[in-house]
Amino acid sequence: MHELLLQTFLNATYAASYIALVAVGLVLIFGVMGVINFAHGELYMLGAYGVVAVYVGAQQSFLLAVAVGLMFVGLVGLLMERALFRPLRDNPLSGLVASIGLLLILQALAAIFFGVRMEHIPPVTQEVLRFSDGVSLPLQRLFVIVAAIVLLTGLWMFLKRTRFGWALRASAEDREAAQLQGISVTRIAQLAMVIGAGLAGVAGALTAPLVRVYPYMGHSVIVTVFIVIIVGGVGSLEGAVIAAIAYAFVHTFVTTFFDGVVADIVGLLLMLMVLVVRPTGLFGARDRA
Amino acid sequence: MKNLKNFGGSFSRRRLLAGANALSVSLLSSGLFPRLARSGEPIKIGFLAPLTGEVAAWGKPGLDGCLIWAEWVNALGGVKLGNERHNIEFVAYDNEYDPGKARTGAAKLIREDGVQFIMMLGGDTWPGVQPVAERSGMLVSTLLPSDLTPDTTTLIAPAEVHPIYNVTGVEWMAETFPNLKSAVICAQDDALGLPSLATYLAAFEAEGIELQQDPLLFDPATTDFAPIVTKMLSSNPDIVSLDTCYSDYVHPICEQLFQQGYEGKVISCTADFYEQIIEKTSKEFMEGFIFQFPDFDDPALNDPRVNFKDPNDFFREYNRRYPGEWGAVSWEYASIMDLWKEAAEKAGSAEPEKVLAAMKSGGKGAHAFGEANWWGREFFGIDNALVGNWPVVVIEDGKARVKAYKSIPDWYDRHGELLIRHMEALGQMYYQRG
Amino acid sequence: MLAIVPEAARFRYLLAWTALAVLLCALPLFLSYSQKEILVFTTINVILVVSYRHLTLTGEWSLGHVVMMGCGAYGSALASKQLGLAVPLSMLTGGVCAALVGWLLSYPLFRMKGFYFLIGSFAAGEVIRLLWKRFRDPFGGPKGLKRVPGLEEFEFAGLRIDFFDPVPYYFFSLAVAIVCIWLLWRIERSPLGWSYHAVHWGDDLARSVGIPTRRLRRRAMVTASFFAGISGALLVHYVGTVNPSRFNVEEMVYVLTWAIVGGVATLYGPILGVVSLTIVNEIILREFGLDQWRPLFYGALLIASVLFLPKGLESLVAPARSMLSRLWTRSA
Repeated sequence: MHELLLQTFLNATYAASYIALVAVGLVLIFGVMGVINFAHGELYMLGAYGVVAVYVGAQQSFLLAVAVGLMFVGLVGLLMERALFRPLRDNPLSGLVASIGLLLILQALAAIFFGVRMEHIPPVTQEVLRFSDGVSLPLQRLFVIVAAIVLLTGLWMFLKRTRFGWALRASAEDREAAQLQGISVTRIAQLAMVIGAGLAGVAGALTAPLVRVYPYMGHSVIVTVFIVIIVGGVGSLEGAVIAAIAYAFVHTFVTTFFDGVVADIVGLLLMLMVLVVRPTGLFGARDRA
Repeated sequence: MKNLKNFGGSFSRRRLLAGANALSVSLLSSGLFPRLARSGEPIKIGFLAPLTGEVAAWGKPGLDGCLIWAEWVNALGGVKLGNERHNIEFVAYDNEYDPGKARTGAAKLIREDGVQFIMMLGGDTWPGVQPVAERSGMLVSTLLPSDLTPDTTTLIAPAEVHPIYNVTGVEWMAETFPNLKSAVICAQDDALGLPSLATYLAAFEAEGIELQQDPLLFDPATTDFAPIVTKMLSSNPDIVSLDTCYSDYVHPICEQLFQQGYEGKVISCTADFYEQIIEKTSKEFMEGFIFQFPDFDDPALNDPRVNFKDPNDFFREYNRRYPGEWGAVSWEYASIMDLWKEAAEKAGSAEPEKVLAAMKSGGKGAHAFGEANWWGREFFGIDNALVGNWPVVVIEDGKARVKAYKSIPDWYDRHGELLIRHMEALGQMYYQRG
Repeated sequence: MLAIVPEAARFRYLLAWTALAVLLCALPLFLSYSQKEILVFTTINVILVVSYRHLTLTGEWSLGHVVMMGCGAYGSALASKQLGLAVPLSMLTGGVCAALVGWLLSYPLFRMKGFYFLIGSFAAGEVIRLLWKRFRDPFGGPKGLKRVPGLEEFEFAGLRIDFFDPVPYYFFSLAVAIVCIWLLWRIERSPLGWSYHAVHWGDDLARSVGIPTRRLRRRAMVTASFFAGISGALLVHYVGTVNPSRFNVEEMVYVLTWAIVGGVATLYGPILGVVSLTIVNEIILREFGLDQWRPLFYGALLIASVLFLPKGLESLVAPARSMLSRLWTRSA
């Protein structure tokens, strides 16, 4: 029982890490742009396919593949801002539909170029840290955990210590007020899209050897992440991280002690309960949208 | 406002008149019966399966296999009906795994394309096609025998007899490793996972293998399998059964089993791309992995009892054209076409009714894995599943090998009531479905 | 309202409505059998998307609306299968079931607004879908229900009318759709409907003049759910089967895109959206035979339409109408 609890704790920590990466990116985009990026799961998918192309296809190192995933998806984010979200800035629902259109395009492209079947990604390392009998953490999972901590800390420092970060936070909290302060909304939007998309891409790239990589893999991630950012409070980066951890732990423990389907229901009900008690999420300062 | 009501009045009267007119015309023009191919004309076969979306992996690779099949058959002169030869032409319709679209697709294939036979994946989409098939008398095949019911006499399950063949793997395992006595099982909670679960539970019970914990169900959208594996390993089983997990789940589950230090036996329905699982785990870990689908380059498939034509060449050609696509469905649809072609030539006609009669005459048929019986009265309420031997495949030194061909009807004769009991407990018998 | 329209314009109105009626009735004559099938599904979806627009009148966008359609489908299927109700009655029961579920959900959901409501409604819908999967009795689990009886066939002037055929069912669903749309239109034009607009445009303002905003939103949700339920009931008795994945978020995304591409300012906007997008996706793109490319073109079309037609297809109607009337006056 003791080992089971410890192992489950490690499982949950890993889940919390990649969910937090994707969720923080989505919150950032929503906070600054005011648009729900439905294609966020597909950005995660693109990151994973970056690994397929660079690490599996071109036989380059995994680290390079992750870096390429980060930059390529960040660039896609920049393009999305220019081509979709900037022209539709005044109309969040149109932005939503545009991101749905993009989602369909990205899925179809992945299916056409890589096939509908799951991709095979050879393991980067098979090392496993064994703490005791029945408690172990594969190194690949540790990578994800460490990377999430490093990236999110880095982002936090950036937001707190730099002028750009200050402007970004200001825009995420109140767009009009930020504009009045002389912050260039376009620049900040570009920055938010690059960081948000890049985080999804890096999460996809890092977890690619651990999950099934196929064209429709974004779907299950986006559902989880929506739940997380709602519970955390839309627009709150800290809230997203805390909610990601809470959701991952609840879901993992319920899966282990009951089963996966019950865990899904519990996760959704928990979210509804949080919303009924606090209709703007745990950390959502006030009503926006 | 008042004027508008007047509009409404004239509107509906006109509508009624024109409506009755349109109705009668369309009733007259709609031919209810499939057209027959004239001499020399190609015979059209419908392919009604998901080609896009999440379930596409169960349709698209099968269509690709059929295209190779048609090319090869047509190169040798096509199908000989009486004295005339006809080429085979496939007409595909993407049903997106939606019953409504499948219904539309079936209507289009039958009435507009004039197909003589429709191959489907079945499952969720079959109930939408069922009334169309019943009214038109169209011959339809499914890969999921759990679609069979006594109401539809023209639905056949001639290739896959999922999940009943899973008993052969368990039976072989119990004979070969009699000391393995405890098992755990996980299954995805869907139309494929549940009947398979009942089958494994019955097969384990028949061999005196004890289940250590309740079956662990997971949602098909699951991405992280670590918690599921942790849960399964917490009761130290001799055997882990992966049920009929899609290959997309078999891979991550095996990887987790390996990483969490499991060293016991693994039995599964499928292990598509097992060489990739070996790469993700180790040769030693996968040694002795039991499943049900042979590689088609396995020399054991050249056994004279096997009816699939040129399995080794087919496998090679398929992999050349569609690298990385091979899976069970790649050959299953094509093997159904072998059966159909033989029956059509025997009947001297492509007419669905005659082909079906020729197919089932004598109660036996040439299944891909050897001669088999049209079977299922007790189990599906109708003898429309082609059931005989099924291979037990084991990974040895990194390569899948057919270890035995085991008879499903023999097992059923001994343990049939167990299977029915477990199926009933999960609500999967034909009289419980729907 | 129309009383102040001059005589000539009234004549044009009459002509336009008659043309529309004739077109709707004659439509099956020009379509192939499978296109008639698509016509039936489109008619059903028209009810769905118009009811969806009704919900959006109060300013809230839901991602749980197809699940309401599912409640109608399951409710009606169970009422006819288990209780043996005649199909038209069971369809009404289905609508009532959906309205009831909508009423229950509205309590927690309308504590939220905007994006929270959007995702909250999605989560509530997912819970319902998971319950359908989980409780095999009576919902049939992941495989759902099948062999749902269709509308009873009958003899009419020597013609046997079988509702399995798409044409009779098209006329039946068209009649239902006309009734539903008319009812929704009446509600929208009633004082209740005007207060919906008030809720939409100024929540606090509306509350300050004594409009009970939450109760109004709830009423809109119950109404919209009822008609979504009716569309689900129409669907299930035609296809004969229902399963939980038919009502997943991907289907919802389609409804959302129909509404937004068509535009929701007018009643006909969403109808234009569903009809044109269905024609593109189910007929034109299928004709090209590029099945794997179909979602790609559809996605590109969605993007193009929101970029270049930001007010939806409905914004094309007024210019088209004035062009037509100019042509009319010139020729007259």
